[in-house]
Amino acid sequence: MAQDGVDDRADRAERVDWEGIEASPEFKELVRKKRGFIIPGTVFFLTWYMLFIFLCAFAQDFMGERVYEGLTVGYTLALTQFLMVLVLGLLYLSRSKNVFDPLAEKAIADYSDAGDGSGPRRRQATGAVAPTTTPEGAR
Amino acid sequence: MIVFADVNELALGVFAVVLAVTLAITFWASRRATNTDNFYAAGRGITGFQNGLAISGDYLSAASFLGIAGLIYLYGFDGFLYSIGFLVAFLTVMFLLAERMRNAGKFTIADVLSFRLRERPARVAAAIGTLNVAAFYLIAQMVGAGVLIQALVGFDFTISVIITGTFMLTYVVFGGMIATTWVQIIKAVLLMIGIVVMSVFVLERVGGNPIELFNRAEAAGQGAESTFSLAPGTFLKNDIDLISLGLALVLGTAGLPHILMRFFTVPTAQAARSSVVTAMFIIGGFYLLTTVIGFGARAILGQGGVEAAGTGGNLAAPNLAEELGGGAGTTGGDLFLAIIAGIAFATILAVVAGLVLSASSAVAHDIYSSLIRKGQDSDREEVVVAKIAALVIGVIAMAIAIIGGEGLNVSFMVGLAFAIAASANFPALLLALTWRRFNTVGAVTGVLLGVGSALLLIIISPIVWGGAPGAPNTGAFDWYDLNNPGIISIPLGFLGCIVGTLLSSERGNEREFHELYVRSETGLGAEKAITH
Repeated sequence: MAQDGVDDRADRAERVDWEGIEASPEFKELVRKKRGFIIPGTVFFLTWYMLFIFLCAFAQDFMGERVYEGLTVGYTLALTQFLMVLVLGLLYLSRSKNVFDPLAEKAIADYSDAGDGSGPRRRQATGAVAPTTTPEGAR
Repeated sequence: MIVFADVNELALGVFAVVLAVTLAITFWASRRATNTDNFYAAGRGITGFQNGLAISGDYLSAASFLGIAGLIYLYGFDGFLYSIGFLVAFLTVMFLLAERMRNAGKFTIADVLSFRLRERPARVAAAIGTLNVAAFYLIAQMVGAGVLIQALVGFDFTISVIITGTFMLTYVVFGGMIATTWVQIIKAVLLMIGIVVMSVFVLERVGGNPIELFNRAEAAGQGAESTFSLAPGTFLKNDIDLISLGLALVLGTAGLPHILMRFFTVPTAQAARSSVVTAMFIIGGFYLLTTVIGFGARAILGQGGVEAAGTGGNLAAPNLAEELGGGAGTTGGDLFLAIIAGIAFATILAVVAGLVLSASSAVAHDIYSSLIRKGQDSDREEVVVAKIAALVIGVIAMAIAIIGGEGLNVSFMVGLAFAIAASANFPALLLALTWRRFNTVGAVTGVLLGVGSALLLIIISPIVWGGAPGAPNTGAFDWYDLNNPGIISIPLGFLGCIVGTLLSSERGNEREFHELYVRSETGLGAEKAITH
């Protein structure tokens, strides 16, 4: 398989103007928007998580204080971690569907796949046609 | 409680059902596991939802199910810390790697690195990282399997390890990724049903009020002998070690080869993304319920159950199941215990199969096909080599598990596997996908420094020198008392990548970075699903 892979790649590298795509406004917008979500998102979740870990290490009495009967501050904060994963996960999913995926499709709209596994080919058409790739369930 | 000496027929029966179903799947998959796309990546035809289940099945090890429930039973809050780290780690995977891996790679971590770096050194470095992580994780799981089957069914430790290893190798060698995936999916479904049913039983005992469960667990955790606490600090007593572990857990998942490999089994990046979210829901729900099981064990079994729960409290969950079913000797108790034991067995099999597959892909795809044969081997030949590699790796892991014996601490070794993954694989992968200047020297330096420092720190750590986790310093040197190396080795892994890159005059291949960058962000040119 490795052999096919090398041929395939060399072949594709000939056909696709990677640098051109990278310099296109659509791709730049995609990267900018993705970074605008992922970088703050990552900083936020790592900060909130590590803050929790630091409190566990250095503020054990505080973490053991009661919020309500047997429910402690530590457990309440632990539950916020679950909530954070849920919210950020769903937020990322919807952002990807509504913003990132359409931009990515626009960025590579000049190339469509022949569907025979030979990789993308430059479209003959004017480029105004919307891409026909269906994101999921391509089977 | 559990009788160690004789064989538990009911548990044996449940084990036999688990094995019969998984072997039938393997037989069905074996006709298709003959080319590399099917053998390593299930033809990239797994849907996002199926893959989400399979990731959960691949990830939730016996250490998660029995280990965390046991730690919460014994120590309370500190056991739950593992749950949080294991779960939040999926945000790292989702934001930084999942889709990019799917778009850029083919079968292994090395495919992504060698895309833009010099192929030979990049592949060797990635294979070293993969094999080290897989080795620690695999041996830990094999030991865990041996201990559990011994306790739950009554077989000897050595025989238990051999049985587990044999079935693991059967799935992988005959059924490849297709069989492994379905074993993982079935296991995830069984595990979730098992933990939900147990939790319902526990909550029913406390009148359906979770707060009441906290109160009763705390009341049962009083007393001089008890280590149980609702506050942190009873198990992870060393502050810095706790932070080190927390860091290794949250970054390590993004470097686990058997998890990352699963993203190559779906047709698109969108499916990779939805599979992470599915996995997050399942894994999050699971870890939330580990508290119910652990607290339930504390409230219901009490301090008196500590001895029967064994080392690390691993048997607390099965013992709780027996008690919930009606107690030892009753039909309900025996049956519930047997079912939970069967689920634990399926859990172990699914995880070890995924690990062996990832290790064999590193040997066959990265070392044999790409380096030794320079891509001149046929597809069929690579699959044969991968199967032989799986056999050799599996047998070595079984041998080490048997020689090392029951004394090896399972959750500790899993923590180390995460530390190595976070120190060696994660930095190089992340930088290869995002940093334009990154080059081969940086990748090799980073991986070697990450693996090397983590291993060295493990060797001088108190646990190797005989200290229990959290015990006063008994390591090789007075000044070093960390059991988890992450807080030092993860920054060293990143530092190695950065300094190696900057010191080298090598200019990365600009053209190939353009291609990798565009491909990983848009999916243009990504590997396609094969048509059936």
